[in-house]
Amino acid sequence: MNSPNSNSFVFRAQDLNVYYGEYHALRDVSLDIEPHQITAFIGPSGCGKTTLLRCFNRMNDLIPTARVTGSIEYLGVNLYDPGVDAVEVRRRIGMVFQKPNPFPKSIYDNVAYGPRITGMARRKAALDEIVETSLRKAALFDEVKDRLKNSAMGLSGGQQQRLCIARAIAVNPDVLLMDEPCSSLDPIATTRIEELMNELKDDYTIVIVTHNMQQAARISNKTAFFSVDVDIETDTRTGTLIEFGVTEEIFSTPKDSRTENYVTGRFG
Amino acid sequence: MAEELRKSFHEELDQMRAKVVKMSAFVGEAIPRVTDAFLQNDFETTQAIIEGDDVLNAWSVDLDTHCSLLLALQQPMAGDLRSILAVLSINSELERTGDIVCNIARTSQRIYGSTIEPGLRGFITKMSDEALLLIRLATDSFVEQDGSLALSLHDIDDRLDDLNREFFRAILESHTQGNLDFEVAINLALTARHYERIGDHAVNIGERVRYMLDGWTKEQIDASRETGPETSGGTGEARTGDAAE
Repeated sequence: MNSPNSNSFVFRAQDLNVYYGEYHALRDVSLDIEPHQITAFIGPSGCGKTTLLRCFNRMNDLIPTARVTGSIEYLGVNLYDPGVDAVEVRRRIGMVFQKPNPFPKSIYDNVAYGPRITGMARRKAALDEIVETSLRKAALFDEVKDRLKNSAMGLSGGQQQRLCIARAIAVNPDVLLMDEPCSSLDPIATTRIEELMNELKDDYTIVIVTHNMQQAARISNKTAFFSVDVDIETDTRTGTLIEFGVTEEIFSTPKDSRTENYVTGRFG
Repeated sequence: MAEELRKSFHEELDQMRAKVVKMSAFVGEAIPRVTDAFLQNDFETTQAIIEGDDVLNAWSVDLDTHCSLLLALQQPMAGDLRSILAVLSINSELERTGDIVCNIARTSQRIYGSTIEPGLRGFITKMSDEALLLIRLATDSFVEQDGSLALSLHDIDDRLDDLNREFFRAILESHTQGNLDFEVAINLALTARHYERIGDHAVNIGERVRYMLDGWTKEQIDASRETGPETSGGTGEARTGDAAE
């Protein structure tokens, strides 16, 4: 695989369709994700934004009935090519989830987990350095440096989420996928994560799914708005990409009236 | 089917727009009133107009506050955001128009008792009618959300600009022929300029309406002017020089 900066885009989705069994979750999505930018996916529930996010690191592989057509390139390589190792994909493309999910281990072991199993650091000194660097990048080190051996479960929700970010970046990924990372956090912890994302985009490409439009407006460079097509006859709902553009435009002068209606609250 | 999610916020926006209409109606009534007072040497009415401007100023402050609160508390987006930003500007345009009406009243007071020949009086009436028409059409374009009408204000304003030039020539001619005192001539020319400025403010309102509707900005017309012929003039001048004399 190439280095992250050798292409003008990190991901290129073309005519992407996702099915869960008979259910057509996402229809005909084509978009590019640019490096070192924060791209936000917004839209109502069931619009397929999380489904698309999960395609970017092949998380949908874990669902037996899931089927993907079309293509997603990651740095010019087809992610769904049979020769591509899904485990390596998930090392390069990290994920942070809606609810903080630290392992029931020490703070140190949470961050060291990935580097240990991937064999990144054989010696303790090297591992210590990765743990410290990762915690610093996640803006958590100063708060936990005196209790690295304590259980991660004793941290606050916001700290746990930053620990999960530290754990994700410890294996040196290119991309961070974030699925509503602040939805269970209070406003102060949310602000910390948002500030952190702004710092992290220098090193990583970030794609975030958020239900909070103001959050997308505050932090992202580009925004994709998804909506749901409802077929009344068959009572089926399919997610579609309505508009993708520079965040300033999406929230000030969107081109599509459906985007306008959504961001101004005229559509439920 | 679309469902209104931010009902109370959108009702607030409607109230904000209603305040613009109220201010515009106030200005619209003041224009013919000051013109009549001017032509009829009605000092009392000109004084009432000057004092009445406090009402418009208070409404303007209130509307400004209303817009600020909506921005601070409601996190408006897209068309809603543009509406509030447009209203902030339109508010300022209408408040300045009120100031200009006061300036006309003051000019009238300065030449109180002077006789103005019928030809020159006709120009004042015509300019007043055109200025009033422009403010009314600008308001209609805001209320009806009519981008074409907003755009047409530019061309209608050209008539007022032409009248201004013709009136100025007529004032000079009358003065040269010894029919018009120098001080009266100067104040008539100023009056012409005041009506012409009201037209400029109406054009500015039209531009803000166009921004409100689709995000159009003045840079777009400036950019097209660099490549194309000059289509109209004077719209940018209204930004300066309107303060009370």
